[in-house]
Amino acid sequence: MQTVTIRPMKEIKISVEGENISPDKFGGKTEKEIQSLVAWMGNQKTTIGDLFSVKVEGSGPAADTKIVLEGDFSRVKRIGEGMTAGLILINGNVDMHLGAKMSGGKISVKGNVDSWAGREMKGGELIIEGNAAYYLGAGYRGESCGMRGGKITVMGNALDFVGEHMCGGEIIVNGNTGILPGLSNNGGKIVIGGNTSRPGSEMSKGTIIVNGKVEEMIPVFKLEGDEAVDAVTYKKYTGDVVVGGKGILYVK
Amino acid sequence: MELLIKNGAVFDPKNGIKGDKTDISIKDGKIVSNVSSKATVIDAGGRLVMAGGVDAHSHIAGAKVNVGRMMRPEDTRSGISPRTKITRPCTGYTVPNVYAMGYRYAQMGYTTVFEAAQAIMKARHTHEELEEIPIIDKGALTLFGSNWPTMDFVREKNMDKLAAYVAWGLLASRGFGVKCVNPGGGEMWGFGKNVTGIDDVVPVFDVTPKEIIVSLMKVNEMLGLPHSVHLHCNNLGNPGNYKTTLASMELANQVKASKDRQVMHVTHLLFNSWGGTNWGDFESKADEVANYLNNHDNVTGDMGQMIFGSATTMTADGPKQYANAKLLHAKWSNGDVELEDASGVVPIYYVKQISVHAIMWAIGLELALLTKDPYKMLLTTDHPNGGPFVNYSEVIALLMSNKKRQEEIKTVHEAVHAKNKLPGLDRELDFSEIAIMTRAGTAKVLGLLDTKGHLGVGADADISIYDIKPDQIDPSVEHAKIKSAFSNAAYTIKGGQVVVKDGQITATPLGRTYWVDAKVPEEHHTEMMKDIVKKFKNYYSIQLANYMVQDEYVTHPQVIKTGAIPVEVN
Repeated sequence: MQTVTIRPMKEIKISVEGENISPDKFGGKTEKEIQSLVAWMGNQKTTIGDLFSVKVEGSGPAADTKIVLEGDFSRVKRIGEGMTAGLILINGNVDMHLGAKMSGGKISVKGNVDSWAGREMKGGELIIEGNAAYYLGAGYRGESCGMRGGKITVMGNALDFVGEHMCGGEIIVNGNTGILPGLSNNGGKIVIGGNTSRPGSEMSKGTIIVNGKVEEMIPVFKLEGDEAVDAVTYKKYTGDVVVGGKGILYVK
Repeated sequence: MELLIKNGAVFDPKNGIKGDKTDISIKDGKIVSNVSSKATVIDAGGRLVMAGGVDAHSHIAGAKVNVGRMMRPEDTRSGISPRTKITRPCTGYTVPNVYAMGYRYAQMGYTTVFEAAQAIMKARHTHEELEEIPIIDKGALTLFGSNWPTMDFVREKNMDKLAAYVAWGLLASRGFGVKCVNPGGGEMWGFGKNVTGIDDVVPVFDVTPKEIIVSLMKVNEMLGLPHSVHLHCNNLGNPGNYKTTLASMELANQVKASKDRQVMHVTHLLFNSWGGTNWGDFESKADEVANYLNNHDNVTGDMGQMIFGSATTMTADGPKQYANAKLLHAKWSNGDVELEDASGVVPIYYVKQISVHAIMWAIGLELALLTKDPYKMLLTTDHPNGGPFVNYSEVIALLMSNKKRQEEIKTVHEAVHAKNKLPGLDRELDFSEIAIMTRAGTAKVLGLLDTKGHLGVGADADISIYDIKPDQIDPSVEHAKIKSAFSNAAYTIKGGQVVVKDGQITATPLGRTYWVDAKVPEEHHTEMMKDIVKKFKNYYSIQLANYMVQDEYVTHPQVIKTGAIPVEVN
């Protein structure tokens, strides 16, 4: 078991590209090796050692590596990008693109995450105890597939475009979401505990369940009648009929 | 500035040189017979030397290329390279940024590239981009096939006015030649319709695609333009369209060439050589098309080879693109250029295991292998419709090695065995034939063979040296080396300046823009302008005074002057 604890040595004002903060990059490495990994800050090439204090206990492969982020990482982007295994524990807030393209392992955040968390995620698990911003589990600009697998859980709220262009996997938001969750959903499952507006536009496949109030429905769904899911009765809609979609939208 | 290239294995088909060790002398950007002892010497060390590559059909600049960039932000995630001391940053694969267009062509040893379609009204945009594409010489073909004035003058059978319009349109767009895309169809698309063949009547204008094609060929030869009519056939992309293609090619017999070249160039034949009646019985008719070319000397074509993976289809063929978007459930952009044609952009991903894609891939190669004379079948990928131009090396390797083709065939959908002749074709092209398809042939088809596509005295000093020793390599077996060498030139020399060394850009001069200034009798011009003034008054959204591309937009022009030559006109 390897545990790596990193902490900013001073306040980070310019955003840092943190794609090297990942069990795949840290696993089996010494403090010195981790300190020498690149971390761009704005247009300046720096290293992890320049920005963060690094403490390593034990040694092990990525799957057996735990990274603990202490302090303020709210200007550090792309943490855990593309990770395949291991664990990242984040005790505060983080910037955009957390766990983008990750295919395995687990990231757990005590605070809030900025936009694009779990962007194009393929597998693994992302647990956010605070709130998420825009484009949670979405596709990147122009891509036809966003999240393809894995699971994202948000204890708080999320902003607009949750699971945009999602092609698989599961997103659970316990609180409210902004407008257009499941936009162009192409096969993923989204469960919203609270309220939302205009869910499922352009969805062709997949499922969206809204347990709170839907403030506005787009008139592109066909009402199929009542149906029970896990002993809760919902109105079942299919659509988006404009794109010949076979997606399912459950609304209380 | 003098340069001497020694010990090169030179392939220069126009001058009959086939791999002989020949020295090439360069002075002031031109190839000369000898240079002084002060010349800088490049020792090619027995490596392959050819003229700089010439591409006659590639979508590198203009409105629809930029629409492709805007609607495909995901494309910019690949091909990223940061700026260096002399190069600007690059992004993109199918629709790269303007700088990457120039660098990547130069890195492949290409020095001249023609944008395949610009509407006159959008020409300013084309030139704004051409001005920013570094290194290569370039030019743009101007669309005339569905323009209202064209169809009016064709209906009136007034070739003098049509010639005057083409001459004026080339000036207005600073264009190089006459492009004709799905003639008549671009106009019908304005009403949500299309033409199905060359005999359909375009409503209101009361002309047929056949009449448009023949008339444009006639005036093209009246004006003595360097290039012939450049035709994108009707019915493109529909199973069974080879009949339309052959019928279109036959129209070339009605017109005599004013120069030693074809009277019709049919472009991206891969998309026009389709048999069958639907996607189920879809099959290759490349043999029929190649057979026609083998028996006629007045038509040329290019491959439009397809490359598996990501591509962005972009064309003035608006109705085809709507059909594509519906078929593929893909993103779609439609453009309407007022009185001048339409356009559409649709991304596509070509997949080896989709039968139609596999058959298409094989059609392109069949066209090149079944056409006996390489001067009649140029190497293109119709960038980025069939695939990005950076894959030319892959196409070259496939054409030079049957072994590579057989290896590829094993990985694609089995339909190619039943629907294509490719598996049984064992022809392997040699370096001379490749040099023709990528240099001498393209230059000849464009009408630029005096200065481009060869290494004789008087030619532009555009030269590429590749890291292969032709006498020590068996391209059939060592196809990977061929591909690698043609991807990254050991040297690219543009206008006597070394612009690429070992695949890296070493200098970024700005190339020239070719355009044609064709003169017609003043009274024809005056007559024609009366109609044009009316069109602008009644229909155009812009003023005539703001229409023409000014010289400020073409800072390094290479103007070719031609004029109306009286020929017999019915």
